[in-house]
Amino acid sequence: MSLVVEGLSKNYSKNLVALNTISFSAKKGECIGIVGESGSGKSTLGKVLVGLENYKEGTITYNGAPVVPTKRSRLREYRKNVQMIFQDSSSSLNPKLPVWESVLEPLDNFKECSPAFLEGQNLSRKETAEQLLIMVGLDKELAGRYPEELSGGQKQRVSIARALSIEPSLLICDEPTASLDVTVQVQILNLLKDFQKKMDMTILFISHDIRAVTFLCEQIIVLKNGTIQDQFGINELYHKSRHPYTKALIEAASIQ
Amino acid sequence: MSNPIISIEKLKIETRNGSYPLVNNVSLEIKKGEIAGLIGESGSGKSLTARAVMGLLPVNMKNSGRIVYKNSDLSALSPKDHRKFLGKEIGIIFQDYRASFTPYIKIGKQITETIRTHYPIGKKEARNQALEVLGKMGLDSERVYCSYPFQLSGGQVQRASIAMVLALKPALVICDEMTTALDVMNGEKVLNYLEEVRKETGCAILMITHDLALAYKRTDRIYVMQQGEIVEEGLPEQIRCQHQHPYTKKLCACLLSLPGENFIINERVNDL
Repeated sequence: MSLVVEGLSKNYSKNLVALNTISFSAKKGECIGIVGESGSGKSTLGKVLVGLENYKEGTITYNGAPVVPTKRSRLREYRKNVQMIFQDSSSSLNPKLPVWESVLEPLDNFKECSPAFLEGQNLSRKETAEQLLIMVGLDKELAGRYPEELSGGQKQRVSIARALSIEPSLLICDEPTASLDVTVQVQILNLLKDFQKKMDMTILFISHDIRAVTFLCEQIIVLKNGTIQDQFGINELYHKSRHPYTKALIEAASIQ
Repeated sequence: MSNPIISIEKLKIETRNGSYPLVNNVSLEIKKGEIAGLIGESGSGKSLTARAVMGLLPVNMKNSGRIVYKNSDLSALSPKDHRKFLGKEIGIIFQDYRASFTPYIKIGKQITETIRTHYPIGKKEARNQALEVLGKMGLDSERVYCSYPFQLSGGQVQRASIAMVLALKPALVICDEMTTALDVMNGEKVLNYLEEVRKETGCAILMITHDLALAYKRTDRIYVMQQGEIVEEGLPEQIRCQHQHPYTKKLCACLLSLPGENFIINERVNDL
């Protein structure tokens, strides 16, 4: 898989430029961290990449084919390979559905997908959902519960199980740990890291927590006012030519 | 310097129908000009402790033990007398910024009204003070002053509410997860200003947080709370490198290291 973004721009209104000529590329198995202060366009970038927002200028190319958000049939092919995890896990699960039905939604939408963990097994729908929950370290008893009966960390794990169910080759995480306790944060990050290695996924990790980003990613992109200010590998984190915003982030996070 | 601004002795909070205690045997004290950090996971009773000091516990809970603020026992006071301490003496900064302002009154008016309730000064002077504190928070003070809360971003409203609390120059400031809603840059700005205020007025600060890096860097003393009890206390370096309690160990291990920071972990392993 390869994702190439070139000259991507997005305006919400005449005066508000959310993204301004963004260009970057991601290879298979790469983890790219996207950091930036609030209002810098991080989340917009995530939404555009997953096809939730339209864009006017620039191109997004996935495996050599352009991604056009207005052509539904083409988008479907792309969306089969791309999943997203949001910050607010309570609003990303349907409160009226028991957890196991939410988890199965991607598999129901893309019936042609046959993920590796299901191969050779003849499981009922509920058993499949239970398998997915076990995969992310949850008890299978939770399958019949409703989202409101779960803790924040558990809900986030359910979101991860749902996103991973069709084995996407690209996973976009928009601040997946921001509203969680420190101990739970580490568990979730470890979970993502394990799956990234196991499935050789590409992850775009949007966050403002530089510690989490450096834990997971090898490449970091710094956004400000919708433009890429800085792009570097993790081993160049302390280089003196880093953008002031990057330096400020490190300064704020360090404990020395 | 030696007399504590506030000392909490054997605080216990339980529900009125008398089930198990939510907070048990909590004792801590904060001296003038000191920043104490209270860390722990959600549900460990950090915020309840703060609310007991403020006298803002939910009606179905009661507290026992002593909360001594500058020689007067707050827990023995009637709610009416307790309230007199709030604002000018004890200020609190909440995590949820949306509830800090009334939505249909302009922010400037709310801040000047707050200042004039506690200090006998004229409208003009109060306005100048309000503009000054707003400016110090890194806000465009004139604009924020004439805005309604919904016209500003979350971070801006939070900073305005912090400005309002600090404008009264309280002797004790309780910060309940105040930077959680802010992004890193604005959070630093606000913390730097808080530091400045502390140097200027010598106020004591109780910093409730689950951000370990912040607690290590900004506090003078850390209390670790688990399931309603303080399991360990000490200087930030002690908590970070020489902790004894298994829970503290678990919590500290959760701080992910930046590249090149690994030597701290090695040091920690040597200590164990």
